[in-house]
Amino acid sequence: MTGGKIAFASGMLLALAGGWLAFPRVLYRTHPQPVDFSHKIHAEKAGAKCEDCHAFRDDGTYAGIPTLDKCSGCHAAAMGTTAEEKNFIDRYVTPNREPQWLSYARQPENVYFSHIAHVKLGKVKCEQCHGNEGGAATLRPFAQDPISGYSRDIWGRPVNRIALRTEGGMKMDDCVDCHRRQGLEYSCLGCHK
Amino acid sequence: MTTTRRNLLKFVGGGAAGALLTPAPWRLITDSALWSENWPGIPRPAHGGITARFTHCTLCPAGCAVRARCVAGQPVSLTGVKPHAVSHGALCPWGIAGHHLPYHPARVRQGPVKEATAAVAQAIAQRGTGEHVAVLDLRPGRTVSWTHRRAMAAINGGLYLTPRQPGYSIDLAAAKTVISFGAPLFDGWGTPGNVIAARSIFRLIQIEPVETRTAAMADLWLPIQPGSEFMLAAALAGNMTLAEAALITGVGEQALAAVQEAAESGQAVVLAADPASPLMSLNEKYGALGRTVVARSDAPMPEAWKQAAPEMSMAAAPDGAIRVLLIDESLPGGYIPWRRIAPKLAPDAVVVVFTSSNDGYARHAQFVLPAAVYPETAEDIGPAIDTVAAVFRIAAPLIAPVVPAVDPARFVERLAGLPASEPLRERAGAIHKAGRGTLLDYTAAKSTPVKDVTADNFWKTLSQGGCWMDDSAKRTAPENLVFPAAGEPPRDERPLTVVVAEPRRGGLESPLMSKLERESNLRLAANRVALSPDGARASGIENGDRAVLETAFGRLNVVVAIDPSVPAGVVEVAGGPRMADLCGGNGRARVVRA
Ligand code: SF4
Repeated sequence: MTGGKIAFASGMLLALAGGWLAFPRVLYRTHPQPVDFSHKIHAEKAGAKCEDCHAFRDDGTYAGIPTLDKCSGCHAAAMGTTAEEKNFIDRYVTPNREPQWLSYARQPENVYFSHIAHVKLGKVKCEQCHGNEGGAATLRPFAQDPISGYSRDIWGRPVNRIALRTEGGMKMDDCVDCHRRQGLEYSCLGCHK
Repeated sequence: MTTTRRNLLKFVGGGAAGALLTPAPWRLITDSALWSENWPGIPRPAHGGITARFTHCTLCPAGCAVRARCVAGQPVSLTGVKPHAVSHGALCPWGIAGHHLPYHPARVRQGPVKEATAAVAQAIAQRGTGEHVAVLDLRPGRTVSWTHRRAMAAINGGLYLTPRQPGYSIDLAAAKTVISFGAPLFDGWGTPGNVIAARSIFRLIQIEPVETRTAAMADLWLPIQPGSEFMLAAALAGNMTLAEAALITGVGEQALAAVQEAAESGQAVVLAADPASPLMSLNEKYGALGRTVVARSDAPMPEAWKQAAPEMSMAAAPDGAIRVLLIDESLPGGYIPWRRIAPKLAPDAVVVVFTSSNDGYARHAQFVLPAAVYPETAEDIGPAIDTVAAVFRIAAPLIAPVVPAVDPARFVERLAGLPASEPLRERAGAIHKAGRGTLLDYTAAKSTPVKDVTADNFWKTLSQGGCWMDDSAKRTAPENLVFPAAGEPPRDERPLTVVVAEPRRGGLESPLMSKLERESNLRLAANRVALSPDGARASGIENGDRAVLETAFGRLNVVVAIDPSVPAGVVEVAGGPRMADLCGGNGRARVVRA
């Protein structure tokens, strides 16, 4: 009888450990970013604000990750002494090759998201969805769920998001929840055009 | 602890129970669902620069102005053009999803072009005296229609046939009272933006048996006995007492008196579900002719085009004498039930249809040739019923044709031996030469008098989805206000009166419409009918049951919706080609449980 209980408990413990500790590690595939960019240095030393690089175009569309021209504007030649900057100039600026950044926050193809509506009209802070990326000294690896194709940031950092809490991610539930909390409209065609 | 089979099973059971308390199984279920959204074959939207392009929607004669948001040149969303003088930035659900149509899985994708050409040539060569070649144009009034007419004039015995076309336009802004006999004013009658813009000006009295969306939004809805509309009109015309009319129509005498008073208080206009209905002649009594109901004006055209075959209704075509019938169903338009066409055909007639949908005449023709759909092709749009000034709007293509489409105008042109032409450009030239009106350039958001624009720029702007609008001209009363009513329908003992209260355009529909129709039931789908609760109970039918709709012309499997707004003795059906073939003209039906 006791043996049976022990067998049951060990099976359970093993599954719990696997599900909570091992599963999150094997679920995501990580890829390094092409350049180890420091938001922190740019914000602190160059006094850059988010919108200096992640700008809106004149027609209100959002440019997203800046292209190489933006970087080359300041880094045509080295401004500091770090190996990372030298590497960036040698590999990308000089040969005029766009770095293949991996976007943490790219929504799937069937989603339309307007940055200008949220940032300018809704006064949503960048950090509310993207976390404190602007203060990070290094770019964390891009983690992607190979089954769904979603980046880890879309799902939200904790793997155990079982609809108990809808903060910290950029899934549909998060969008709907935020709109609902603020008494804003939401409908299918708002995002799935 | 010994390793027994029982302990092993308990270990596995514990593992399963434990796994359920971790995120793993739940996350894998969600991930699998997301993965299934990305199966191979699911179209991938292009990535690239975002641009705005302009065009006009051709899905109905309203021809609303459209702004397309394009990514890498591919339209991804359509909206209205706000400053447009007629459409005022509004699009209907069909128009909003128009860019889905080229990819419709049920689209006609190929057809026997060579065989059709050979069969038509042979039939023309072998036709006997008194046999005709005819084009049936479901959307007359377009520039393409003039090509058809010119071709038919060039062919000996050529006929140009059209559905019954009202020769008038309605200026809603000039009306204080609109008395509508079932005209779906807010549901596909005219240009949505124009109707909404004029709504605060007029009082709407809607007379129809079923509480349609228009009836629900009217100031006064008079639920009338189906088929008694002419009696009510007779009372309004003073040919019958209100008391007599009240008995026949089921509308209270007081309500009738209120309608009469509103109608006679000035600036009333009468509209009918069938724009060519004799009910329209009431407008003469209310002095609306030449004020609210005005003769349709067309954009100028090259002089040479006037050598064209006249418009002829199907009823006027000689019986058994059409040897070749070419049906231009490339745009959804006024569908004529097949049983009205069949008697006009010679015994060995060749029927060719140019269409994108298998739902209309493709069911009856020997040769079905694929036509381009909106927004693949450059064409203009005929006049809208609620636009008084002449307009010339080009639907500029937003994408290249997805299938190898056959252009009906080119086919007919070649058949008649006409030289290949650029009719849109020629017409634009004629309009420019006339020197009247204004050019609306949506890209530059400006209007310019035509006399200040060069011919080249005029064409360039139009071909990029611009619009020419005539100056307001002298209003005249229309000549062809009504057409003679069809003869008395044969006696039919079936218990239900058919009411087509759900306008449908026919042709392809975007999946968005199936959301509105099949999933949300907000509109009647083509295969649904609505019965009153009493009528359904009497036939032993429950909501959602499958049934057979039976008329003198055939049977159709349908799904029944029970709708308390449908009166007893009525079956409400959606419009569209299948229903027109089954129900049009007679109006009696039976619904039996399948
Ligand atoms: S009303 Fe007609 S023209 Fe306007 S958007 Fe709808 S289908 Fe297109």
